[in-house]
Amino acid sequence: MRRTTSLILILGLSCLLFMGLKLEIDKASRQKIPGSSIIYVPSGKYLKTATFGFSSLMADIVYIWAIQYFGNLAIPDKFDHFVHIFSIISDLDPRYVDPYEVGALIALYDTKDVSLAIKLLDMGFAKNPDLWIFPLEAGHYAQLYKKDFPLAREYYKKAMDIPGAPDIVKRLYANAAFKTMDVKTAWETWLEVYETATDERVKKIASNHLYNIKATVDIQGLRSVLEKYKAKYGRYPDKLSDIVTAGLLPYIPKDYDQKDYGYNPKTGDVKTAVIPWKR
Amino acid sequence: MTIKVIALNTFKEAIRDRILYLLLFFAALSILVSRVLALLTVGDRAKVIKDVGLASISFFGALMAILIGTGLVYKEIEKRTIFTLISKPMRRHEFLLGKFFGLVLTLLVMLVLMSVIFLALVFFHTSTVEWKLLLAILYIFIELILITAVAILFSSFSTPILSSLFSLCFYLIGHFSWSLETLIKKIPAGLLRVLAQIVYTILPDLENFNFKTEVVHGLTIPPRVLLYSVAYGLLYTVFILTLAVLVFRRRDFI
Repeated sequence: MRRTTSLILILGLSCLLFMGLKLEIDKASRQKIPGSSIIYVPSGKYLKTATFGFSSLMADIVYIWAIQYFGNLAIPDKFDHFVHIFSIISDLDPRYVDPYEVGALIALYDTKDVSLAIKLLDMGFAKNPDLWIFPLEAGHYAQLYKKDFPLAREYYKKAMDIPGAPDIVKRLYANAAFKTMDVKTAWETWLEVYETATDERVKKIASNHLYNIKATVDIQGLRSVLEKYKAKYGRYPDKLSDIVTAGLLPYIPKDYDQKDYGYNPKTGDVKTAVIPWKR
Repeated sequence: MTIKVIALNTFKEAIRDRILYLLLFFAALSILVSRVLALLTVGDRAKVIKDVGLASISFFGALMAILIGTGLVYKEIEKRTIFTLISKPMRRHEFLLGKFFGLVLTLLVMLVLMSVIFLALVFFHTSTVEWKLLLAILYIFIELILITAVAILFSSFSTPILSSLFSLCFYLIGHFSWSLETLIKKIPAGLLRVLAQIVYTILPDLENFNFKTEVVHGLTIPPRVLLYSVAYGLLYTVFILTLAVLVFRRRDFI
């Protein structure tokens, strides 16, 4: 009995002591190189072999680790291996969508590197050509942060061609086409959106864009003719119909709603009667 | 004295075990394969050799401790040799401690063999004997001592398969328990947090013996951490062994 009591005492005492020691060890800061090991892995392909069929689980682990790693403000050069780390996850589990998207967000907001974000989304799209989300997001980033509408248009087109892509992709594509001044494609696409839309709100959006495209083309044409008129007569005409009388235009175009454009004879400015988005 | 006799007998018994040599073979193979892996990498090849080598020593050492340790006591019961032993003027804790020290001695010999292969490979690659790697190996040994105690504990009341599973779980928990700290930070202050904190401090933290990264990268390790880690390992071992003695004392062999 006494021996049992002694043993229980030893048990309790050793437990208390190692618990106390653990807390003490935790207080001491050990020098660490977070992620120091992973950068030496040549690629996820080799790591995949080493996971013995648990590559998806390993992808989760590396991804979770990556989130902590890139969230650590104490590592100044953490982005040096950014693409490498995410390509490891991509090789381990190519269908894992989150790392591409979250990685792109990290690249965008932490490194302010839009091209890097797009590169990551490209990686996701290369591995998942059936997922429209990657070209859609890449197009979105190109449009919003690079103001590169031709590039955005290219991505929207890729997304649009994938079955199951949401309707908004077509609208974004039409808008990007208009921004690159491909008015023909923009008109045709918005018209298609208008004709196929079942939602009144979407119909209205498409109609506004169609109004805007027509107005832009008409106003551009009218401005050019008005400049010719000014070159010939030394002033802008008093009213728009004067350019028809002068034989410079067969007729004055009307806006999408068959209304006349507004005209200022002093400045030669031509405007729509209403703001296109407030029709 | 009795402990010494049993320990030496256990050592002789363990080194005759074929599993030990099989594991040693795979450990050596794994250490040597690190050379091939190093060829595939971009950057510091010696680093890969050291990483894979130390990981192999740690992993196979743990396997040796678990696979041999879990069968030690059970075999005596299964083969009924325990009846002969306990009929001698010997206390049960002496029997258990003898088994423990015998296996620790076996592991020490195995660890020395693996270390020689590992250091030779590193020497072949860097043309220097990197003695600092021995520090990481020393702490691997402390970790193995603790795992041996755990294997003996489970072996004293369970079958080898179950004991191996339990010990393996202990090993995994030991290496992942540090992540509980992150969880605790997210738990709002209160009873649940206190409970989580208690669980966190009781659970084994085998990362306290993991100095592989620091040693490979040549980072300085605070002497306090080194000292506390040794004390932590030894105290945890005492705790587990006391528990094992308590369990073993209650077993009825008749």
